Amino acid sequence: MKHDFVSKNKIFYTISICLMALTLILTFVIGLNLDIQFKGGAIISYSYTGDVNANDVQSLAASTIGEKVNVQGKTDVATGKSTFDVSLAATKGLPVETIDKLTKALQEKYPDNAVTMTSSNNVDPTIGREFFAKCMVAVAFASLVMVVYIAFRFKRIGGWSAGVMCMLALLHDMVLVYATFIVCQFPINENFVVVILTILGYSINNTIVVYDRIRENKRLGGSKLSIRELVNKSLGQSITRAVNTTVSTVIALAVICIVAMLYGVNSILSFAFPMIIGMISGVYSSLFIAPTLWVVWQEHKINKKKAEPAKA
Amino acid sequence: MKRVGKPVFFIVLVLIAALTYTAFFGIYTYNGDIQNTIVKGANDIRWGIDIRGGVDVTFSPPEGYDATDDEMAAAESVIKVRLVTQNITDSEVYTDYNKDRIIVRFPWKADETNFDPQSAIAELGETAMLTFREGKEVDESGKPTGVTAENIILTGSDVKKAEPRVLQDKNQYVVSLELEESGKQKFADATTRLAGKGVISIWMDDVLISYPNVDDPITDGNAMISGGFTAASAKDLADKINSGALPFKLETENYNAINPTLGLGAKDAMVLAGGIAFALVAIFIIAIYRLPGVVAMIALTGQMACTIAAITGFFPFIPSFTLTLPGIAGIILSIGVGVDANVITSERIKEEINTGKSLDGCIDLGYSRAFTAIFDSNITVVFVAVILMGAFGPPSSLFATILSPLFRFFGQSTAGAVYSFGYTLLVGIILNFVFGVTASRLMLKSLSKFKPLRKAWLYGGKK
Repeated sequence: MKHDFVSKNKIFYTISICLMALTLILTFVIGLNLDIQFKGGAIISYSYTGDVNANDVQSLAASTIGEKVNVQGKTDVATGKSTFDVSLAATKGLPVETIDKLTKALQEKYPDNAVTMTSSNNVDPTIGREFFAKCMVAVAFASLVMVVYIAFRFKRIGGWSAGVMCMLALLHDMVLVYATFIVCQFPINENFVVVILTILGYSINNTIVVYDRIRENKRLGGSKLSIRELVNKSLGQSITRAVNTTVSTVIALAVICIVAMLYGVNSILSFAFPMIIGMISGVYSSLFIAPTLWVVWQEHKINKKKAEPAKA
Repeated sequence: MKRVGKPVFFIVLVLIAALTYTAFFGIYTYNGDIQNTIVKGANDIRWGIDIRGGVDVTFSPPEGYDATDDEMAAAESVIKVRLVTQNITDSEVYTDYNKDRIIVRFPWKADETNFDPQSAIAELGETAMLTFREGKEVDESGKPTGVTAENIILTGSDVKKAEPRVLQDKNQYVVSLELEESGKQKFADATTRLAGKGVISIWMDDVLISYPNVDDPITDGNAMISGGFTAASAKDLADKINSGALPFKLETENYNAINPTLGLGAKDAMVLAGGIAFALVAIFIIAIYRLPGVVAMIALTGQMACTIAAITGFFPFIPSFTLTLPGIAGIILSIGVGVDANVITSERIKEEINTGKSLDGCIDLGYSRAFTAIFDSNITVVFVAVILMGAFGPPSSLFATILSPLFRFFGQSTAGAVYSFGYTLLVGIILNFVFGVTASRLMLKSLSKFKPLRKAWLYGGKK
């Protein structure tokens, strides 16, 4: 079985660049849904029975809190329970006493509807922004450590270039995970960071397995093979493993997604589904983006050397 | 690797089975109705507040007030005492001295039906009522009564400062007490009256925190409390006394409260999903890789059981750990990486078989060639896990200390959940080396000694 993956690289790059451009457009069209966890704000959820008019709740909440609020009603398909979320329009947290007052006011106005608070999220904007910055630094630092490690472990195949190409592939996966959050309109929160980090680990894992094969083939085959042949051979040997591993993890995640959907557990759905997309993207970029880019880089270096022998 | 005999497979299998059984079901003895836990099972997992409900709150002094480290320590001691009086024992309290924040996290108790986090939070942040009272008369619920209830000698505002000190000559820890002008005369009168025969009890709210004997009259407003202190207990008492003199009330506009019923459905759903997912992956892997697939799934079972054991506090040297939703994601990733280790090896063995080498040689070659890939890819994931644990873990933990130059500018985060992800991932990857690499190799080599199991087809070769 012989495949020429490397010479199809233009197709891979075109697909990836289109996807990234699409992500950028979607960000502007759909808009970024930054969770209050990062930007600060307050959302209080209540469950109730019977009928409660959202507009009435809104005016009551606004007058009790003394701020502009939005109220959104929801009905959980699985449990049949109705809930509404009261969210503050301004990006700041509310004092505990205010929320207590709101709960009491709602219970007084709807004594027969068993209004109970199910959750309350209050985030101070300073703390939220700080948390966001810390997450970004953690991701950036983790990426840097990987490049250095790959550069060190894969010296034999031009470590730094391998590390940098691996990073590009990772960036590609992160953009696609981000795109999934945008398209599904999941809020960008802690879950997002966890998915990004999981995919970072997973995609690196994949890329390294491919690099390892290239390293081994180079050692075994010596310099008989051209870089292009070397990578094609290594990719051919790695592809079954990559696909099988991904299929097993995606099976597991898909089950989690389906169960989460049936039970209406949104917090789980909003990390399991983007993770599936990230894993597929991860295996794709590890096979077709990182190694082929590395070939382009290495061939470019060889051509440059060939062009300059006169100097030596 | 040395020769692996036939019985090895069964030894490893029995060990994994025993580990799996105990990790999931635990070992308990029953003394009538009282259950004694000898080994903790999966039911003893401490779920994070995102799953079982609870409160995560960040307190800080009012805006514009720059609290000193001593004041923050005093405020922390108030919160700790209050948590205990509210019967909340399973709590975490961290103080960030740079940013003047106190982070408190506690789960909602399972038997609590009345979900009212607001009042719990409001009460934690209140200024403490510190009193020095005459005598030590308490009623059956531990509250002051009689003369102790009536005669309040000092209140928090009469105290200027309390400090832990060491008396060098006696090598003894004490708490020194400095009073404000307002308290000097009152204290002098009381101590003169009680000297040699009485007790002064010190209270925070309605909690008795100390009751020193009065030895001599103290007229200059500088007292010393002695008696069997360690460095830590002296600091603890000083912090508590200082809390009475705190000039501020703790405020919060940053807290999350989750109703337990919201999370418990999530937990059941995850357990169900985990079971189905494991079964499907097993079918897939065994169908593709045959004998190495079976071995892989046994090893994975062991890896999963051991991960759960590392969370429940199964091993005496590993304390139990709070499992959150991101923690579950960490388990999924580490299982994924574990599957991968087995897939890489099985692929390698298949490749070698198809080149027509001997079976034993193929198995050895498969494992040794796969190892560098497994090692490098796993180590990088370990880096991710360590960085996360350092960035989002408690400030005193090992990784946080190592990474503190990088993250100290950010203050402590409230994301205990991400820390859990790092932990399960790290544990999972370490276990992957034990099970995915070592245990599965022992099992496969041992199985390959059995004649019926030596057909190339079983290892992915052609019939």
